Amino acid sequence: MPDIYHFFQMLVNGLNVGSTYALIAIGYTMVYGIIGMINFAHGEVYMIGSYIAFIAIAGLTMMGLDSVPLLLTGAFIASIVVTSAYGYSIERVAYRPLRGSNRLIPLISAIGMSIFLQNMVLLSQDSKDKSIPNLIPGGFTFGPGGASEVVVSYMQIVVFVVTLLAMLGLTLFISRSRLGRACRACAEDMKMANLLGINTNNVIALTFVIGAALAAVAAVLISVQYGVINPGSGFLVGLKAFTAAVLGGIGSIPGAMLGGLVLGVAEAFGADIFGDQYKDVVAFGLLVLVLLFRPTGILGRPEIEKV
Amino acid sequence: MATKQITKLFAAMVLAGVASHSFAADTIKIGIAGPKTGPVTQYGDMQFTGAKQAIADINAKGGVDVDGKKLLLEAKEYDDACDPKQAVAVANKIVNDGVKFVVGHLCSSSTQPPSDIYEDEGIIMITPAATAPEITARGYKNIFRTIGLDSAQGPAAGNYIADHVKPKVVAVLHDKQQYGEGIATAVKQTLENKGVKVAVFEGVNAGDKDFAAVIAKLKQANVDFVYYGGYHPELGLILRQAKEKGLNAKFMGPEGVGNDSISQIAQGASEGLLVTLPQAFDQQPENKALVAKFVADKKDPTGPFVFPAYTAVEVIAQGIEQAKSEDTAKVAKAIHDGTFKTPMGDLSFDDKGDLKNFKFVVYEWHFGKPKTEVSPQ
Amino acid sequence: MTRNLKSAFFSALLVWAVAYPVLGLKLTIVGINIEVHNTSTFTLSVIAICSLLMFVRVLFNQQLSAAWKASPNMPKVPSKATDFLTLPSTQRWIILGLVIVALIWPFYGSRGAVDIATLILIYVMLGLGLNIVVGLAGLLDLGYVGFYAVGAYTYALLAHYFGLSFWICLPLAGLMAATFGFLLGFPVLRLRGDYLAIVTLGFGEIIRLFLRNLTDITGGPNGISNIPKPTLFGLSFDRTAAEGMQTFHEYFGIAYNSINKVIFLYLIALVLVLIVLFVINRLLRMPIGRAWEALREDEIACRALGLNPTIIKLSAFTLGATFAGFAGSFFAARQGLVTPESFTFLESAIILAIVVLGGMGSQLGVILAAVVMILLPEMMRDFSEYRMLLFGALMVLMMIWRPQGLLPMQRPHLELRK
Repeated sequence: MPDIYHFFQMLVNGLNVGSTYALIAIGYTMVYGIIGMINFAHGEVYMIGSYIAFIAIAGLTMMGLDSVPLLLTGAFIASIVVTSAYGYSIERVAYRPLRGSNRLIPLISAIGMSIFLQNMVLLSQDSKDKSIPNLIPGGFTFGPGGASEVVVSYMQIVVFVVTLLAMLGLTLFISRSRLGRACRACAEDMKMANLLGINTNNVIALTFVIGAALAAVAAVLISVQYGVINPGSGFLVGLKAFTAAVLGGIGSIPGAMLGGLVLGVAEAFGADIFGDQYKDVVAFGLLVLVLLFRPTGILGRPEIEKV
Repeated sequence: MATKQITKLFAAMVLAGVASHSFAADTIKIGIAGPKTGPVTQYGDMQFTGAKQAIADINAKGGVDVDGKKLLLEAKEYDDACDPKQAVAVANKIVNDGVKFVVGHLCSSSTQPPSDIYEDEGIIMITPAATAPEITARGYKNIFRTIGLDSAQGPAAGNYIADHVKPKVVAVLHDKQQYGEGIATAVKQTLENKGVKVAVFEGVNAGDKDFAAVIAKLKQANVDFVYYGGYHPELGLILRQAKEKGLNAKFMGPEGVGNDSISQIAQGASEGLLVTLPQAFDQQPENKALVAKFVADKKDPTGPFVFPAYTAVEVIAQGIEQAKSEDTAKVAKAIHDGTFKTPMGDLSFDDKGDLKNFKFVVYEWHFGKPKTEVSPQ
Repeated sequence: MTRNLKSAFFSALLVWAVAYPVLGLKLTIVGINIEVHNTSTFTLSVIAICSLLMFVRVLFNQQLSAAWKASPNMPKVPSKATDFLTLPSTQRWIILGLVIVALIWPFYGSRGAVDIATLILIYVMLGLGLNIVVGLAGLLDLGYVGFYAVGAYTYALLAHYFGLSFWICLPLAGLMAATFGFLLGFPVLRLRGDYLAIVTLGFGEIIRLFLRNLTDITGGPNGISNIPKPTLFGLSFDRTAAEGMQTFHEYFGIAYNSINKVIFLYLIALVLVLIVLFVINRLLRMPIGRAWEALREDEIACRALGLNPTIIKLSAFTLGATFAGFAGSFFAARQGLVTPESFTFLESAIILAIVVLGGMGSQLGVILAAVVMILLPEMMRDFSEYRMLLFGALMVLMMIWRPQGLLPMQRPHLELRK
């Protein structure tokens, strides 16, 4: 029964890619949920996160560290700190002055920001692909071998576990903590939240920081798993994650998680059936189909039309 | 036939007329056009590195000897972002700037539209990177290239696979780019002509990171040989992931993958990779001094377009010297007729402007060790 | 003061966190390993100075902003002037003046300048088309480039397979793009706001990917080359004519000059733009044009007034697509080559930026914005690799400087005196 094995292999691969989409999609969805803008620079934040991860790993290795858990921890911390700073600064510089204007204005500003960041990294880190060796080689193999086996690498397991932990942490934070409650309040009604004494500016900044931090987690996972980064890598991943966010229902955090996973799995099977070159067509086609039947995404709340 | 000759002669005369009155400057401007921004900047950088180094080297020797007068070369850089639309704007700017010699462009798609303009305006263009056969197939007099064609490299690889490797199940992948798909199609055709069946022929997305789906497919088809048409970033990742997923197949790629970056990306998985290369210019003993110069300037000499770009400048300089004139019509004729001693060996060009006798050799890649030649073709 | 000091300290630190890891450290490949090194003390000192400036700026925020406000004669455009500039009647005269200038100057301009002007005109056409969809009807379309691609490939394919000329293909390209706009618009136009945006983005990408993947028909990544240039009643502008053709310079007995070809293309583009402008201006005065704007302002009120939103949206979407089709087929003619890579999402983003920067709905604004957006990167060619960096930064700055657009649309109105 090689086909069963093949099926499971595709499923594992799809979930692997999907979970990283989900992490990045949360950044889109949270920003959208609170201020209703599409943050097109989010993909570049992810890209910067992956550069920071490499810088941290290379730096620590040069200092003589060779324990993989320590390297990864260092990469996570450095990447989260720096990308959070980016998330905060981008909001401050490019979006806050535009709050309250037509919603297309911040969108264009975000596209400008994305071009700026991509070229900044291109100039400072040069255009060449940078790569690191596989930090966590090996994996589990199931099945009799040859064409009939499922390989789950250790790295894939790390991706699943870290993603799960990050999601769990975020869910707890949003549902239990004071700040999380403030976030939800702002998403519900910004003006009212402001009247009730919530510093909405801080909450919006926090949203950008959380989104950036989760993008950093995804950046470390993806760049360590695949081992190659370049300044152009943020755009496509950002676009896919945005698609995932809309697929799940933009503005909804569980929706972004689900959307990411669905998109990843659909891409894996789509690539298998139609060929790898149609992977993106499958992704966007799925989006169109879902939106035709559920105009606000899988878990999106139906919009109430106000007069 | 005769009328064609006359029109050509007439064209050359007009060109000479146009060209003759703009040469009063003390330097010869060499335009270098390619991507400095955008997704393929890293290939553009290779081209700029090579061409600028050549210009610096020639100037260090006192410049180009034009009929007894020594003239220095002046590099003028143009960014086309590998976008055909911008490439046309760049070409027009080059015309405006009075530049008569161009090294570039990089991507085949952004080389073709400007080449129309250059031919029209009597500007000599040598592309060190664009491999699409159509570029030189239109009977242009001023368009040359210092790199092999897709249509030459593909058959070389295909013949080697069929005659020497003799695999059981072959897959041919490509990156859906002009270069990659062109070569991959040529390989597939050669293999099928030789009676080798290609089980999987598929494109992957350039710039993608995850190739798990295509690898699972190759595994399902029990593929034991994979030819990949494209560049090193994607093949490096494919090699890496194939090893992780336990796909036991031999891989082969064109010169676009044959540089040190592939070992860097694929690490141990690059062991045993077969590559068709013109010749490893950066590893030939006579180029050692030149490579050292690149390294001393903190430049990377390993990319596939560094040496072709270096050579393109050399060919222009030597063409000017052999023509004893800066007149582009005469230089174009000199380039067509002459032989040039360059880091890529002694070169001469055919009627179309392609390199004569441009041969590809198959190398086997070794991780951490120099590659070895496996077939003298 | 301590609060100020704290936030100033935080801001200074933020500058370090943002700048140092990316600009101050550099990854380099050494053999097969990767290493990280400091770039230069110069970069570090620049970062240090920036962070110091930031510290001072935040610390004395109140004093500085007070001083800023107190400073006399700010270089601000008086509001009367902008009001005057954006009045529809003034705009009409400005456009007329521009047209006259545009008709005359190419004969004195350089080849490069005329060519850039042609490119700008293509974007004016695209901007005007998208302006109908986004600016007038208020539908956010992020996949506009798809219709542009349809137009370009329609001409390229018809010329390649059937040898049809530009003048036959131009209306066909518009028709084809309109059909696509209609077919794609039909199912998706019931989506709201940003869902529509992402679906159109998806469609744009799907069109591009199909053009790239259907190698047998579209030439795949190679695209289609050797697309003929337009002719003037059968007269070509080449140096030597093809079989059975005559060239312009031979017919009129003048010496061959390659700039004629460029000027001719420019004039075609100008005429196309004028036609588009004329059509839009007529439509705006018709019920359908009024309905677009009414729909943008309030969909529910529109429905209550008995307007059918689907038909109105669809007409805007289709018409916008038609103009993109015209622009596409002209683009194919100018390039002589079409490849899928000319129709990426970034292209949509640039066109959208033109519409937004111009001031949504304003036609003169779109023209001005197209000039700015295309000329800016061209003029910055001397900055070489810093070109796109500056371009991105300027996009952000322009939005902050004039969020309402360069020349926002203004309806004739009276203001009540208080």
